[in-house]
Amino acid sequence: MSKYRVTVDTGGTFSDFVFFNEDSGEIAITKVPSTPKEPFQAVLNGVKELIDQGVAAGDISFFCHGTTVGTNALLEEKGAKTGLMVTQGFRGIYEVMEQTRGYGPATYDLFFEKPRLLAPPYLTEEIPERVDFKGNVLKAIDVEASRAAIRRLKQKGVQSVAVCCLFSFLNPDHELKIKELFAEEFPEARLSLSYEVLPQIREFYRLSTTVINGYIQPVMATYLGHLESRMRELGVVTPKLYIMQSNGGVSTFKGSAEKPVATVLSGPAGGVIASMGTCERVGINNIITFDMGGTSCDVALIHQGNPVITTQGKINLRPIALPMLDIHTVSAGGGTIARIDAVGGLQVGPDSAGADPGPVCYNRGGENITVTDANMVCGVLDPNHFLGGRMKLDKEKAHRVLEEKLAKPLKLDLLEAADGVLKIIDAKMEEAIKAVSSARGYDIRDFTLVAFGGGGPMHAGRMALDLGIPTVLVPLTPGVHSALGLLMSDVKHDYVRSKLVGLEDLDLAEINHMFHQLIERAKADLKSEGFTDEEIKIEPYLDLRYAGQGYELTVPSSMPPYTKHDLTLMRSRFDTMHEQNSGHKAESEPVELVSLRLISLGLVPQAKLSPGKVTGRKVEAAKLGERKVYFGKEHGVLTTQVYNRDLFEPGHKLTGPAIVEQLDTTTVIHPEQEASVDEYRNIIIKEKKA
Amino acid sequence: MTVDPITLQVIQARLAGIVQEMQNSLFRTGYSTIIRESQDASCAVLNTRGEVIAQHVVLPLHMGAFPACAAAILKTFAPDEINDGDAFITNHPYLGGSPHAPDMGVFTPIFYKSEWVGFAANMAHKSDIGGTVPGSGSGTAREIYQEGLHLPPVKFMTRLQPVKEIDAMIAANSRTPGLVLGDLRGQVGAARLGERRIGELMARYGKETILQSTELLSAHTESRVRQAISSWPDGESEAESFVDHDGIDLSKPIRIHVKVKKTGDRLHFDFSSSSDQTQGPANIRPPLVRAACAYCLVALVDRFLPINHGLARCVDATFREGSVVDPRFPAAVNTYMPTALTAAEAILRALAHFVPDKRIAGGSGSAALVLGGRDAQSNRAYVHYEIFSGGTGARAGKDGVSATAFHLSNCRTAPIEIIESEFPTRVERFEMLADSGGAGEWRGGLGFVREYRLLADDVRFSMRTDKHAVEPFGMSAGLPGGKGACRINAATESEKTLPSRFGDHRLGRNDTIRVERPGGGGLGNPLHRPVEKVLEDLRQGYVSVGRARDHYGVAAEMVDGEPLFHEGETAHLRGKIG
Repeated sequence: MSKYRVTVDTGGTFSDFVFFNEDSGEIAITKVPSTPKEPFQAVLNGVKELIDQGVAAGDISFFCHGTTVGTNALLEEKGAKTGLMVTQGFRGIYEVMEQTRGYGPATYDLFFEKPRLLAPPYLTEEIPERVDFKGNVLKAIDVEASRAAIRRLKQKGVQSVAVCCLFSFLNPDHELKIKELFAEEFPEARLSLSYEVLPQIREFYRLSTTVINGYIQPVMATYLGHLESRMRELGVVTPKLYIMQSNGGVSTFKGSAEKPVATVLSGPAGGVIASMGTCERVGINNIITFDMGGTSCDVALIHQGNPVITTQGKINLRPIALPMLDIHTVSAGGGTIARIDAVGGLQVGPDSAGADPGPVCYNRGGENITVTDANMVCGVLDPNHFLGGRMKLDKEKAHRVLEEKLAKPLKLDLLEAADGVLKIIDAKMEEAIKAVSSARGYDIRDFTLVAFGGGGPMHAGRMALDLGIPTVLVPLTPGVHSALGLLMSDVKHDYVRSKLVGLEDLDLAEINHMFHQLIERAKADLKSEGFTDEEIKIEPYLDLRYAGQGYELTVPSSMPPYTKHDLTLMRSRFDTMHEQNSGHKAESEPVELVSLRLISLGLVPQAKLSPGKVTGRKVEAAKLGERKVYFGKEHGVLTTQVYNRDLFEPGHKLTGPAIVEQLDTTTVIHPEQEASVDEYRNIIIKEKKA
Repeated sequence: MTVDPITLQVIQARLAGIVQEMQNSLFRTGYSTIIRESQDASCAVLNTRGEVIAQHVVLPLHMGAFPACAAAILKTFAPDEINDGDAFITNHPYLGGSPHAPDMGVFTPIFYKSEWVGFAANMAHKSDIGGTVPGSGSGTAREIYQEGLHLPPVKFMTRLQPVKEIDAMIAANSRTPGLVLGDLRGQVGAARLGERRIGELMARYGKETILQSTELLSAHTESRVRQAISSWPDGESEAESFVDHDGIDLSKPIRIHVKVKKTGDRLHFDFSSSSDQTQGPANIRPPLVRAACAYCLVALVDRFLPINHGLARCVDATFREGSVVDPRFPAAVNTYMPTALTAAEAILRALAHFVPDKRIAGGSGSAALVLGGRDAQSNRAYVHYEIFSGGTGARAGKDGVSATAFHLSNCRTAPIEIIESEFPTRVERFEMLADSGGAGEWRGGLGFVREYRLLADDVRFSMRTDKHAVEPFGMSAGLPGGKGACRINAATESEKTLPSRFGDHRLGRNDTIRVERPGGGGLGNPLHRPVEKVLEDLRQGYVSVGRARDHYGVAAEMVDGEPLFHEGETAHLRGKIG
C-alpha cells in the first residue's frame, strides 16, 4: 500500500485537505465543512474520508495541520482564566501597554478602547525580586512571599499563569525559582515563563507574548490532546504530527501545546510557503503572493527565495514578538461592501458582508452589494458553477440590487458600475502590493504575482497589468493553497537570547558560550522530535543596530564560535543591510549587539509532486462553452471562451479574453493577456507580445 | 469634462497609497530616532494654490502646518522662480507655518510635462536646531530667538543641486548637524517619490482628470462634513479649558476659550476670549489651532474621511491678535503642545453641545521628560528622553482609557530594559495610579506613576507638561481627574515638588524622581454608576474603598482581594448624597 501524507488547513467555513500519495507523487484535495464548535471533528471527518477511500489509517505517514483554535480563543477572548506574576512595582508594564493607539483613522477615534487585559489586575501578583541590566541580582527573590502569591492565585482558580520578571533573559534564576515553587504549590497550573517563551529584551513585548501564550495554552493543549487521541482511535499511528506556525515552519503537537502563541498568526503562512514551493519547482524565486479571500487579502514578498520575517506581529493590537512571516493584510475580499455614502459618493470597503449573510447573490439575506456580486454581474462568475455547482447564485437579484443601489444613483449603466467596484477594490489591493514591494525598494518588474484564495485568480490579471508585473502564476489548487503549504514545510524552531552590548566591547568567549548553549538546546530539541543529525540544519543570526537605535536588523551569520575577524565581517554586513533597508549606512557609528538568534530546521523529506501528464489532448477539449463578460469601457462586452481547468495539460495555451473555471476559483485572462499551462499545470499569464 | 465616480475613487485610493508610500519612505530613510521611532513626521501632496489634496496623518496638527508653509513659499517665490528639481524648506512659525523651530517642512514642486502642478511635502521633527538648550525646546524661552535657527522659506536645493550656503548655515547652528542634514535629505527623498508618483498618475489618467479629481475629492470631504454639521441643531455654545501656566508665572493659568456658532452647514469658532499671549513658550500660532478644529471635526464626523483642504474649508475661525492662540512676533512657541491639547479639549467641550453623544471629559495631555548628563562608566554624554501620557477623559457611554496617548499626541513609552541598559537611570516603579480617574457614571481613565533613581552625578532634569495645577475637567456632573505631579526624593525629608514646566533642575546620584501622571475627568453623576462597575473597579484596584464610598456612594470592604458589598449601607449612602 502507498504511504500518504495528510494535511489539513481549518478555515472558518471549510477545512481544506490535501492527500499526497508518496509513491505516485499525486495529490488529491477535498473540502470538508468546518465544525467550529468542535474543530477536531472536521479534521477527523476528512481523515475518515481518506480511510473510506480504502487507505489504511496505518499508512498515513505524516500529518500536518493549520489550526485557528489558538487564534480564535484569543480573538473571541475565550482563553483560560490566566494569572500574571511580575517584578514587584511593575504591574504597569502590562496595563500601560506602551500607551499607544493606532495611526491613520485610529488617531481620530474618540471612542477607542485598549485591548482587554488577558490577565486582569486582580489576578496579577508581584514578586519581590529585581535583577539589573547586567543580570546581577539587586534584590533576591522573597521565596515565602512568592509562595503566598502562588497560593492566592490557586485559591482564585486560575488555570494558567504567565511569569515575566525584568531582565529574566539575562538571569532567569528568579523565574525558574517560581517554576519550582509552582511544582510544589500548584503543579496543576499551566505555566508560561517569559524566559522560556521569548528570552528577549524589551519587557512589554516579552510579557505580552508570554501572557498570550498562557491565555491560550490550556485551550490548545486540550484541543491537540483530543485530536491526537481520536486520530489514534482511528488507527493513525504516525509519530509525525505537526502544527503550522506563524514563522512558516511546523512544530510537533507537543511543542505547539506548550507554545501555542507561535501558531496564532499562522493563518496566511501556509499560502506563502506553498507559493515558494510551487515557484521553486519552476525556477522562480522573486514572488509576490496575493491571497484574496472573503473579507481580506494577504500579500507577502519573497526575494530570491527568502520570505521577509518580522518580529512585530500583532493581533487585535496585542503584540506577539516571535519571528513570523511578514504578511501585509488589507480589508479587501469577495465580501467587501460597495455603497453610496451620505453625500452620494461611491465607497468600496473597508467593511465586509463576510460569509453570512454574504453577497447579495448568495441569497442568504445579504442586501449590500459586494465585490463578488460585481464579479457576477460582469460575467466573471457563472451562477450555475459556483463551487463546482454546489451553490446556486442568484444572478437576477445581484443585477437588480446593483442597479438600484449603485448604478442608478451614480447615473452609470449596470456594467460600468459593477466594473467600477472591481476597479476600486483592485486599486486598493494594488496599493497594498506596492507597500510590500516598490515602497521597500524592490523593482516590481522582477517579480511574479502568485494568485490564490477564492478571489486571487479573478483579480490578479488586471492588477498585474496595472502594476506592470510581467507574470501571474495561478497554482493548480488555488483554493487549498494553504493546505498545500503544510505539505512543503520543515519543522522550524526559533531561539533567541538578548545581550545588549557594544560590538567593540563584547566578551567573545561569553557570546560563543551563549551561542553554544543555544545550538546544543536546538539540536537536543530536534533530536527529541525524531530528527537525525543529517536532518538538522542550524542558522545563526545576530540582531544588530547602530548604538541607540530603536530597532534591530537580523543579520545572517557564519557558524559560531566567532573570532574578532568574524565580528568585523558581521559589522560590514550590517552596514550593507542597513543601507539596503534604510537607504543609508553609518560606518563610523558604533554598532551594538542586541540579541543572538538561531533558527533550527528539522528537514522533512520533500513531497515530490509529480508533473502533469501529457496525453496530447488539445486545449479545445477543455472548453466548456462561452459567455459574455464585461472587460471595462475599453473593451466592452466580449464573447469569452470558458475552460475547465481540470482538463488542462502542460503545454496548453490560451489567448485572452478567457475564463478558466475550477472547483474553488475562477481565473480571468484579460484581452491584453495570454496564458500557458506549465509542466506542473500552473497557469502562467503574461501580457500579449505586441 | 467631469470625472466619473469610479475613476474618482480609484484616484482617491492612489492618492492614499502615494502619501502612505511617502510616509514609509520617510520613516525608512529617516536618520534620527525621532523620525524612525517616535514617528514625529507627516507627508502630504498639495496643489499650486498650496492646498492639501492628500495627507497621511500621524500628527493631526500638521494638517494646519502644511498649507501655512505652502502659503509662505508662494508669497516668497513667484511661479517663475519655482523650478523642476527645487526643494524649499522652512521651519519659521511666523514667516512660515511650522509649529516650532525643530519641525522642518520640506516642499518640492511637482512638474508634469514641464508644467508646475503642485507640491510634494513633508514635515519632520529635528533632534536639535540650536537655541539655548539641547533639543531647542527651552521651557524658559521668551522670544523665538532663543528657540533655535529659524529659516523663512528658502531653497534647500535648486534644480536638483544642494544649496551649499543653506547646508552650511544649518550645520553651523545645530548641535547634531549630521542628524539634521541626514533627515532633511531623507525628507527630500520622500518628497521626490511623491513627485514621481503624482507624475505617473497624471501620465496614466491625464493631468486634467487628476486636477479635477482632487477638486472633487476635496469638495466631497467638505460636503461630508457640512452634511454632518447641518444635521446638528443651530445655536451657540462656548467652553474653556486651562493650561497650568507658562513656566514663568506659575500662579497664572492660561485660559483657552472658544465660542462656537452653528448656522445651517456652517460652524464659526471664535477664540477671542482666550488669555493674552504668554511670556513663556506656551503660545501657539493660528494655523495649528485651525488644525485642532479640523481634528475635532474629523473625530466627530467620520474618522475615515479623506484628509484634504475640503476639511480646512469647514474651519472658519477668529483669533484676537496678541492672545495665546495668535501671539505677536516674536513670542516664544516651543512648548505649544500642552496649549494645543487644551485647545482641542475646549473645542470638543463646546461642540458637545451640538453632538451630546460624543461628549468627552478632560484628559491628562502629554509630558516630555529629559535627563541629561555624563555617564561615568562610559564617560559619554547622554540624553534620556521620554514622552508620557495619562488617563483620557470619560466618554459618553464609555469609561476613559487609562494611560494612553490621545487627541493630538501619539508616542510610546520607552522600554525599561532599554533605558537601564543605555542610561545611568534605574526605574523603580511603574504602575497605575489608583483613584486618579475622575469619578462619574463613566469613570475617567487612570494615570500612572513612574519612579526613577539616578545612578550618575550632576544630572540636568527638565520636564514639559501640564495638568499639575489644573485638574482635567469632569463633565455633566462627573468629577475632575487627578492632577499630575513631579516629586524629587518623595517620602524622604528632602522631598520637593517641581512645577509642570521647568528646565535644568540639578540632581545627583541616588536622587529619586516620582512622576505621577494625571487621570481623566469623569462624565455623568458618579452615583449613577452601576454598583457592579464600582465593585469591579475595587476588585481591579482602580478605585479605593474610601473613594468608592465618598464619590460613588458604594459601601464595600476588601476581603482576600474580593470586594464584599454592603447593600443596605450603599442604599443609604446613595440616597443621602443624591
